Amino acid sequence: MEFKLEAHRIVSISLGKIYNSRVQRGGIKLHKNLLVSLVLRSARQVYLSDPCPSLYLAGPAGSRGAAGVGGGPAGGPAPGSSPLKKPRRNSEEQPGGAAAAEEEMETGNVANLISIFGSSFSGLLRKSPGGGREEAEGEESGPEAAEPGQICCDKPVLRDINPWSTAIVAF
Amino acid sequence: MYFVLRRKSALQVKIQWGPMCIYFPPTVGAGGGNDIQWCFSQVKGAVDDDVAEGASGIRFLTWKWGAVHTSEADIISTVEFNHSGELLATGDKGGRVVIFQQEQENKIQSHSRGEYNVYSTFQSHEPEFDYLKSLEIEEKINKIRWLPQKNAAQFLLSTNDKTIKLWKISERDKRPEGYNLKEEDGRYRDPTTVTTLRVPVFRPMDLMVEASPRRIFANAHTYHINSISINSDYETYLSADDLRINLWHLEITDRSFNIVDIKPANMEELTEVITAAEFHPNSCNTFVYSSSKGTIRLCDMRASALCDRHSKLFEEPEDPSNRSFFSEIISSISDVKFSHSGRYMMTRDYLSVKIWDLNMENRPVETYQVHEYLRSKLCSLYENDCIFDKFECCWNGSDSVVMTGSYNNFFRMFDRNTKRDITLEASRENNKPRTVLKPRKVCASGKRKKDEISVDSLDFNKKILHTAWHPKENIIAVATTNNLYIFQDKVN
Repeated sequence: MEFKLEAHRIVSISLGKIYNSRVQRGGIKLHKNLLVSLVLRSARQVYLSDPCPSLYLAGPAGSRGAAGVGGGPAGGPAPGSSPLKKPRRNSEEQPGGAAAAEEEMETGNVANLISIFGSSFSGLLRKSPGGGREEAEGEESGPEAAEPGQICCDKPVLRDINPWSTAIVAF
Repeated sequence: MYFVLRRKSALQVKIQWGPMCIYFPPTVGAGGGNDIQWCFSQVKGAVDDDVAEGASGIRFLTWKWGAVHTSEADIISTVEFNHSGELLATGDKGGRVVIFQQEQENKIQSHSRGEYNVYSTFQSHEPEFDYLKSLEIEEKINKIRWLPQKNAAQFLLSTNDKTIKLWKISERDKRPEGYNLKEEDGRYRDPTTVTTLRVPVFRPMDLMVEASPRRIFANAHTYHINSISINSDYETYLSADDLRINLWHLEITDRSFNIVDIKPANMEELTEVITAAEFHPNSCNTFVYSSSKGTIRLCDMRASALCDRHSKLFEEPEDPSNRSFFSEIISSISDVKFSHSGRYMMTRDYLSVKIWDLNMENRPVETYQVHEYLRSKLCSLYENDCIFDKFECCWNGSDSVVMTGSYNNFFRMFDRNTKRDITLEASRENNKPRTVLKPRKVCASGKRKKDEISVDSLDFNKKILHTAWHPKENIIAVATTNNLYIFQDKVN
């Protein structure tokens, strides 16, 4: 359980660092961002592999976001159900009344975002089914022709005050 | 045969059997190379080490609580002695290079070696803006490397993130006087007043040191340059950025050869970057480069034009018991330096210094822990970004001692022969010349002894990233944030 909290905290910190790297002088530092993304991936793996059934939010199983959670550890919960909810468990503010489908899509996208950061370095390609996340780590290819910033702001997740979302909105 | 244990002191136990005895733990003396005693010599720079986060790139002095604070531009970013040790160059975040020259020794008063005084100061790099990518290019000097002296002038290479410059530093101590057709201030004389012929002669003048850029090597690096290294042929040099290494000829600025390229076709597959590169000191065809994964590759330029396939790969298997979220970060190599002999190379990662024998690839021959007590603090160091600090390391002239920096303005020396190590502090408290530096000790856990410092009271803003050792003497230059300390061994 504490591993999960630790992992979550590390993921939040890492996302913050990636965001800050965009505004600092001298351009994006490839080395530092690579290291941060490696930490992000490790934390994500721990996060997804730490079995804490009590933390799963209720909700109907859906397979929409499951496909995006690539590389999940073996023996994880059935696709489409609990793993997708994991990133949301810290959102005390989030009312449980959110539409299940919407919630699922949000968490699915969050998990996809993590998988983008973690397993791949440039988030330019469409890895998430939701699309629109091209900007996610577009700054990593700053030295090459980067896509102009497309802020992913057309998903419901962004209206939440979930700390995850706050970090993502920053992109 | 019986054993006798005697407690020699609070720190030491003597174990004796018959005529033999050993001390445990081994003597923690002044350490660092045949019991050298290091003394404070000089300190250069602002009075206060505190850096006010001022407007980037603009140098200003602010008064704050009666003390003078200098801006970020004065942060020292590189330190390098020249081949004779007579000159000491520093580069800073503001793009300036300051060169110090050692005074000629006073043969009569030989109680200390010559002092280093400012010889030349010049602005090497200016901030630039890449309009195509909307990126600002920092003027911070990442590295300075001296060329060996061939004539009266001195030459050095300095680089920022994108551009390398060759600077010529020359002295002028004479000037021509008595022109026939010109006044002393340069204005031409009225020709009708010229009635005699006068030949100009050279007369002495006050020494003037001029720095002029002789070559500018630009537009060859997409990523940030982290290293430059001059080849032993003294005609070519390499420059390395995160993904590529280029080979230049010192005379040719409009082209360079790419000799290493680790950029994947798909940037998504990027797993490691180049962190440092250096030419072998004797073999002009050999160079090494280190990676963020903790590996070092040795390449031979004779093998192929593009040295993507290494001749040797130096890697130590990871200790699985030390695995954590941050294992990958702390194994990233921040500096690699060949020994003067060329037989060994040293690498610095976040927590340790490793010495590698070029003939043995599967593990280092020596490993020295710089600040192992930080291993349990990696998460905090990740949060405050300290875990990304890039410490450098250096050899002494005889390759018997290695030195590297740490936090709290501490720096460490490891004697390879005696296996002793010492921790010293660069601080203005010991600022009387010839004051012997007192060894410091960090208390990792448990009871803190007198004069020890606990890990939690270390100041992580005071970091020593750059150190340099005189090529022939026991003189070291240690850079704190914006001060340069010079220490010498005690001369009796």
